[in-house]
Amino acid sequence: MDALGHLMSGFAAALSINYLLYATAGCILGTLIGVLPGLGPAAGTAILIPITFNLDPTGAIIMLAAIYYGAMYGGTITSVLINVPGEAASVVTCIDGYQMAKQGRAGSALAIAAIGSFVGGIVATVLLVLVAAPLATLALKFGPAEFFALMVAGLCLVVGLAGNNMWAALLMTIVGLLIAMVGLDPVRGAPRFTYGVDELIDGVGFVPIVMGLFGVAELLIAAEKRQTRMIEADLQKWNLTKDEWRRSSGAIARGTGIGFVLGLIPGVGSIVPTFMAYVMEKRLSKNPERFGKGAVEGVAAAETANNSYANGAMVPLLSLGIPSSPTIAVLMGAFIIHGLQPGPFLFKERPDLVWTVIASFFVGNVLLLILNLPLVGLWARLLKIPFGYLCAGVLIFCIIGSYSLKQTMFDVWVMLGFGVIGYILRKLDFPLAPAILALILGPMMEKSLRTTLEISGGSFAIFLERPVALALLAIPLLVLATMLLRPRTFAKLRESDIE
Amino acid sequence: MIIRRRTLLAASAASALASPAIAQSKFPSRGLQLVVAFAAGGSTDVGARLLAAAAEKELGQTVTVVNKAGAGGQLGFTEIARARPDGYTMGFINLPAVNTIVLDPERKAVFTMDSFIPVANQVLDPGLIWVKGDSPFKTMKDLVDAAKKAPNTVRACTTGILSDDHLAILMTHEAAGVEFRIVHFDSGVQQLAGVMGGHVDVAFDNVGSVVKRVQSGEVRGLAVTDDVRSPFLPDVPTTKELGYPTIISSSTRGVAVPKGTPADVVKVLEAALLKAINSADMKSKMDAAGLALKPMVGADYAKYYADLHKQATKYTEWALKMR
Repeated sequence: MDALGHLMSGFAAALSINYLLYATAGCILGTLIGVLPGLGPAAGTAILIPITFNLDPTGAIIMLAAIYYGAMYGGTITSVLINVPGEAASVVTCIDGYQMAKQGRAGSALAIAAIGSFVGGIVATVLLVLVAAPLATLALKFGPAEFFALMVAGLCLVVGLAGNNMWAALLMTIVGLLIAMVGLDPVRGAPRFTYGVDELIDGVGFVPIVMGLFGVAELLIAAEKRQTRMIEADLQKWNLTKDEWRRSSGAIARGTGIGFVLGLIPGVGSIVPTFMAYVMEKRLSKNPERFGKGAVEGVAAAETANNSYANGAMVPLLSLGIPSSPTIAVLMGAFIIHGLQPGPFLFKERPDLVWTVIASFFVGNVLLLILNLPLVGLWARLLKIPFGYLCAGVLIFCIIGSYSLKQTMFDVWVMLGFGVIGYILRKLDFPLAPAILALILGPMMEKSLRTTLEISGGSFAIFLERPVALALLAIPLLVLATMLLRPRTFAKLRESDIE
Repeated sequence: MIIRRRTLLAASAASALASPAIAQSKFPSRGLQLVVAFAAGGSTDVGARLLAAAAEKELGQTVTVVNKAGAGGQLGFTEIARARPDGYTMGFINLPAVNTIVLDPERKAVFTMDSFIPVANQVLDPGLIWVKGDSPFKTMKDLVDAAKKAPNTVRACTTGILSDDHLAILMTHEAAGVEFRIVHFDSGVQQLAGVMGGHVDVAFDNVGSVVKRVQSGEVRGLAVTDDVRSPFLPDVPTTKELGYPTIISSSTRGVAVPKGTPADVVKVLEAALLKAINSADMKSKMDAAGLALKPMVGADYAKYYADLHKQATKYTEWALKMR
């Protein structure tokens, strides 16, 4: 019960006026960073580190952490409103969130995202307090072999659930994997498929691709219809039916679990949990055909998972000193700049600081909910802007976003190019999600496979010797087998399409 | 607000290139950029940000850190080499990362060692060979004996192919007559997760990454790859003491400007950076991070730059032959 006592004094400190102020400022700044496309949480926190130089370490960490989960929420806003993910982890939110907005339900989508994020964040933080240290040590057993198996399972599940569009999904997956191959070989360092173009040495940027495929493609489609407004449906106040609440609560519970568990594993990143949570909901749903057409639980699952992941990822940072994502690495840099080394010794050396920071996670999540729910209506009203203005605004937004990432025009051309490609694929009814997931998973899969083989001295038997890896590799096979053996159960799935 | 101000600064820095003559009359007359070729939050970045803050005071202008990470530093180094040589764009060069990229023909680097003028070195972080706290390898001898008994089974990890850590493993192969099974990770963090999770046996890393963990007993330092002991780890022997005087490896990080930068501008930067690096505040903050300061400027730094390249050449050629 020592932890509880520490946590209580942590709360007392976190609720002091100064820290409360830092957390509020962090949440607002973070939300802005999330809204700006291109500027993700990692770049955002890195840019804002200097303004925390003059704060005491506790205040600095509280503010940076608030910026982090503020950004995770902020990305949702643009995903729902204009189909442009403000940060990468909100890609999945576009799928159903934007469809909801098209039906005039942008407010409901944003509200369920805020509520899901809140629950995910709070529950993940409770788990952080209860089980942090032992779980984090256990998660380290998850090595490159298991990591590879997890990536394979994730990719297969998405393709496997594509229903009657399975071949198109498979094709898109392969295209995604091929694009992911461009750039330096992750182990040997030799350039691949760069054709002498310097900018391609670092690969094709993920953010420009996503902004093109989703945002610009959407603009082209909308422009074709000669609309006067981006979204033709009437705006509704946010309201969810009883049935939607029921479906969302299940999605939120599962999203929290998926996000937290994957947050423990170093290197997974924030996009994979959102995809997994989304696929899980679709898999469990009685009417999977609603997904991609504005299913509220699709938004709830993705947004909950991404915030639960953000808080879950604090576990390996605080208990082991191992950052599991780029943003967490920036946060760790901030600890170090302030003369603190995150890890087991920090709990012993500075329990006051650690527990105040943990308490501030609770406070920050409450603040975000308070800040965001009333604003839902305001954000949704942006869609009333006449189409011409909004369209130009979105395009400028995308151009600045893709330029700001690396300050090169090359990424802007990539974004515009993929806008056209996205438009064509949409017209041909090809699903985009598998390509996006393949882009994310491809490099991780390749690197983890090669590391695994380096560890085993080149022997593939390592996948048979490690039970977790074997089990993860078996999942996609089982799904495939059930589909073949019990076709009727999956008939419904086939009708649908994972867009 | 801050983002906007910084973006504007960066934009004005980029656009105000038209009149270098005026700019040089009183250097620096506007904000400067410091390119870091590694991601924000890493140990290079931490040092760079502290240096940028201290240099701002000396130069009287803002110094903005710009992270251009990717391809083991190659993207950022390319950026530095191709920047306008007016002194307003400086960059952090990590040695021997720059050397090995230049030396590996497959990397097709657009820069050579002559593309940079080394201005001021900040950090020299010696290599450290370490294992998990409860590892059966208590000493360097245990490790070498085990590797001798069963060649190509003890798994040793690096922070990337042709990194200083990879070169250190090759030096150990040569000096101790052993062969490790080499596993390439991307960062010190992955090394930590790999060793703590039992996926690899030993890490070839740098002192700065794990000082605190060695002190707490979480990991055990077997040897510092240097000829003098690290002040942060006075109980860990050096490779020289252990009879391997040829295993000397470190990572140095300092500021450089592109070739062609006027000498008087370089002098201004050199003086300001040296003062910033030698400040008491810098020392205490770098100490806290476990990063050893090694201020070098002018002829000293130039000599180090040239000597290191000779050493790196030998091992890079060897590494290239092995792949």
